[in-house]
Amino acid sequence: MEGFLPWQWCIVWWLVAVPFIVLGIIELRSMMRKDREYLPLLGVCGAFIFILSALKLPSVTGSSSHPTGTGLSTICFGVFITSVIGAIVLLFQALLLAHGGISTLGANMVSMAIGGPLAGYAIYRLLKNTSVNIYITVFTVTAVADLITYVITSFQLALAYPAQIGGVMTSFAAFFAIFAVTQIPLAIVEGCVLALVFKYIVQIKPEIIEKLNVFSHEQIAKARMTEGSVASSEVRS
Amino acid sequence: MIQNRKLELITVVAVLGFVIVFLAVNATGSHGFNGSDEVGSQKVAELTGHPVDSFTPLIPQWIPPSAEIESTLFAIQTAIGGVILGFVFGYWFGQKKQTSSR
Repeated sequence: MEGFLPWQWCIVWWLVAVPFIVLGIIELRSMMRKDREYLPLLGVCGAFIFILSALKLPSVTGSSSHPTGTGLSTICFGVFITSVIGAIVLLFQALLLAHGGISTLGANMVSMAIGGPLAGYAIYRLLKNTSVNIYITVFTVTAVADLITYVITSFQLALAYPAQIGGVMTSFAAFFAIFAVTQIPLAIVEGCVLALVFKYIVQIKPEIIEKLNVFSHEQIAKARMTEGSVASSEVRS
Repeated sequence: MIQNRKLELITVVAVLGFVIVFLAVNATGSHGFNGSDEVGSQKVAELTGHPVDSFTPLIPQWIPPSAEIESTLFAIQTAIGGVILGFVFGYWFGQKKQTSSR
């Protein structure tokens, strides 16, 4: 929606976004220097943001929208690195697809690459050390990250275009009705899909999840047992 | 080896449910299935009183010449993601096989 945000707001959102991106790049570099083993997982997380944000699904409410796919990366790598991956995807779409634009890139980064992941990360921290099944955690984080992205988009538009009667909140409700309602079914489906992907990662490559300290050894072992995967036939060191 | 497929089942049900509701909505109403961006743009126009066309990009940008080309580019985007996914999962799978056979 290039051009739909007044330039003052474009600058504001760019200023908010830049620190996250810079911190994310620093974090990414130090992580890569430490251990190249994370690179494949980073690839998977990035790939999912790429795929899911390109899928413009017609939603049940009669308009279409795309999922964000940022939940997986948020859980595995945290907010800052997710911001960087998200920014790359948004830049790709802005330059090649005229989907978003350079001036609104800041605002888009704040909603999809920063705000959504931040909310998701909060949920993750909340659920991490409880007995909640790890796949339910992944589902919740993903769905929340997706939904909050559109809540923030609505809010950004409402701030820029407050209604003449009722102001920002009325506008927010109007935009929210467009974006978020479309997004609720998509968020649920996205949560299921990414939880499933997470299950496969846990099955094939549990050590990387453990090494990143995403979930504890016990939680992973428990998930592998209840999922009845190959865990039983394997001797863990 | 008995595998628990609960999560797969839930996902399939969720996707199917989504599709069924979508088809039902599609059959009853007259929906254009515009992007929510477009509906959002119309809302902005409504709130400000300026027509949608009066909003021009602040920074000139390249726009795909047609919807066909745009969908190609989106397809390329998903393909890039798909290739990376397949590669990494294959890589991990191979790694796992090697360590367990040793």
